[in-house]
Amino acid sequence: MKRTLTAMALVLASTGGALAEGELFLYNWGNYTSPDLIKKFEETYDVKVTITDFDSNDTALAKIEAGASGFDLVVPSAGFVGIYAEKGLIQKLDLSRLPNHKNIAPEWMDVAWDPGREYSIPYQWGSTGMSVNGTVYSGDINTSSIFMDPPAELQGKINVIPEMGDVMALATMWAGGDVCSEDPAVMKKVRDALLAAKPKWMSMDYSTVEKMINNDYAATVDWNGSALRSRLGNADVKFGYPKEGYGLWMDNVVLLADAKNVDNAYLFMDFIMLPENAAMLSAFARYANGIAGSEAFMPDDMKGAPELVAPAEFADLGQFVTVCTGKALEYQNAIWTELQK
Amino acid sequence: MAEKFAVTRLPGFTTIAVVAFVALYAPILTLVAYSFNASESAAAWTGFSLDWYRLAFQNDEVKNAALNSLIVAAFAALISTTVATLAALGTTRRAAFRGQTAIYAVINQPLMVPEIVTAVALLIFFSSVKLATGYTGLGYLILAHAAFCIPFAYLPIRARLEGMDLTLETAASDLYASSWQTFRHVTLPLLMPGVLAGAMLAFVTSLDDVVITEFIKSPGQDTLPTYMLGQLRRQMKPDVNALSALLLAVTLLLLAGVYLLTRKRAD
Repeated sequence: MKRTLTAMALVLASTGGALAEGELFLYNWGNYTSPDLIKKFEETYDVKVTITDFDSNDTALAKIEAGASGFDLVVPSAGFVGIYAEKGLIQKLDLSRLPNHKNIAPEWMDVAWDPGREYSIPYQWGSTGMSVNGTVYSGDINTSSIFMDPPAELQGKINVIPEMGDVMALATMWAGGDVCSEDPAVMKKVRDALLAAKPKWMSMDYSTVEKMINNDYAATVDWNGSALRSRLGNADVKFGYPKEGYGLWMDNVVLLADAKNVDNAYLFMDFIMLPENAAMLSAFARYANGIAGSEAFMPDDMKGAPELVAPAEFADLGQFVTVCTGKALEYQNAIWTELQK
Repeated sequence: MAEKFAVTRLPGFTTIAVVAFVALYAPILTLVAYSFNASESAAAWTGFSLDWYRLAFQNDEVKNAALNSLIVAAFAALISTTVATLAALGTTRRAAFRGQTAIYAVINQPLMVPEIVTAVALLIFFSSVKLATGYTGLGYLILAHAAFCIPFAYLPIRARLEGMDLTLETAASDLYASSWQTFRHVTLPLLMPGVLAGAMLAFVTSLDDVVITEFIKSPGQDTLPTYMLGQLRRQMKPDVNALSALLLAVTLLLLAGVYLLTRKRAD
């Protein structure tokens, strides 16, 4: 018994307690941090990085809000940065300590959730659009009509990802409304069109890449990173940017107010804003990163990929998908519930 | 001799049993099969390979998560089994008393309260402890796991005790054994299969936990289940299948142990 207690004490002591110099605690989405980049950072600055995974913005926020989380940097999605700031959970960045801040691409500098980038720096961003197999359907793929009013060739071969926010945003923009529309006429149109279209879909499923590659689906509502991976496995897959408006998302790095390793956190943020390092993040996660000049360092199969950079005519049609509130959310929940029946 | 009635002879018994077994085990067997698939595909079989197991073992995050899982499960099983043994002795080796049912309910509370409620409560409670003490080690996970593992350890131990009558203990007392000697040389050896079964169930329960762990883990404390959960948002790869298959194998081994320890002797 004595020996057991001693062993227990040893385990508890060895894994807890003092934070040594040269550490950094990063709290990020699972399977989203390039191991190569972390290794490079550790070797450059002699800092040990500990990565911990979260599976949703809500879990991450709940843990940070409870206090004493022990993390230094967190990577929340766009809509959540404002919440962290409002609750005083993150600190304003000292831009003099981030010389590479100037590398943030101009279009990602003055963003709605953090004007002037005072609290957050870009991590990865992407869009929600249509993946379509060009051999099955040769018409216009830059439209949400692909799933809202499916053309005859695609009927019965379409998948829709079961992600309410993204799908409702596409549907609402298709019906002529804003992402969080509260207009009953628009939402009525959304509801009727979705219910009429659903019998022409094949499934509502997340795993799109395999099935687009194997021609099990002829089209799907898709994230651009998945669309890129599908095309690399099946050259017939094309990514369409709906002209009625498509969804955008961005994950951002923020510095916690109670971070203990502030110096290393600044080093890391500055490090990933260097174009060659930002490219390493993208090479792993397969999304774009918001750092100007990083494309030159990306893997060849990502350079100029049409999934990562929207053609000029569609560039301005993306809308950020935020968590809607109030009446808009009520409409969305009601329609989504009806759609699942 | 029991009556001739047997549930196995009811019409449709075989059909329903087969359907139930297929529904329970087909997905698990599919997952295990695809963990040996040569390609990245989760949908098409291309040949046998152990690559995903190799990849999983080379991944530092996986190794760290596996180590965390094992440490937490071992200590949680140790603590919860000790507490559960004492609780089982206290609730069975005596005459029935007022409030006995209430005591059972209190001990088995983790089986009834939704996990997410416990998780949020522990998150808030442990956060204030962390603030006050500065300690961020595995202790929180071990304590939390020990707490919800207690009923899993308690139930087999109590079942074992209820099957043991007091005659041997009475005989030991008659022969001038002290209470401690009686417990040490009579009760405990007889009880041991129940204790081991309880410890294994507690270990498996701790190994599987996601919700509570996700909420109270400190930096760097991902366990295998929370690590796997983190992988799901992006394209699932067969290395997650390989990990699931390994967890399944450990669980099955331990459950087989529980079965062997608790089965009724033929005599």
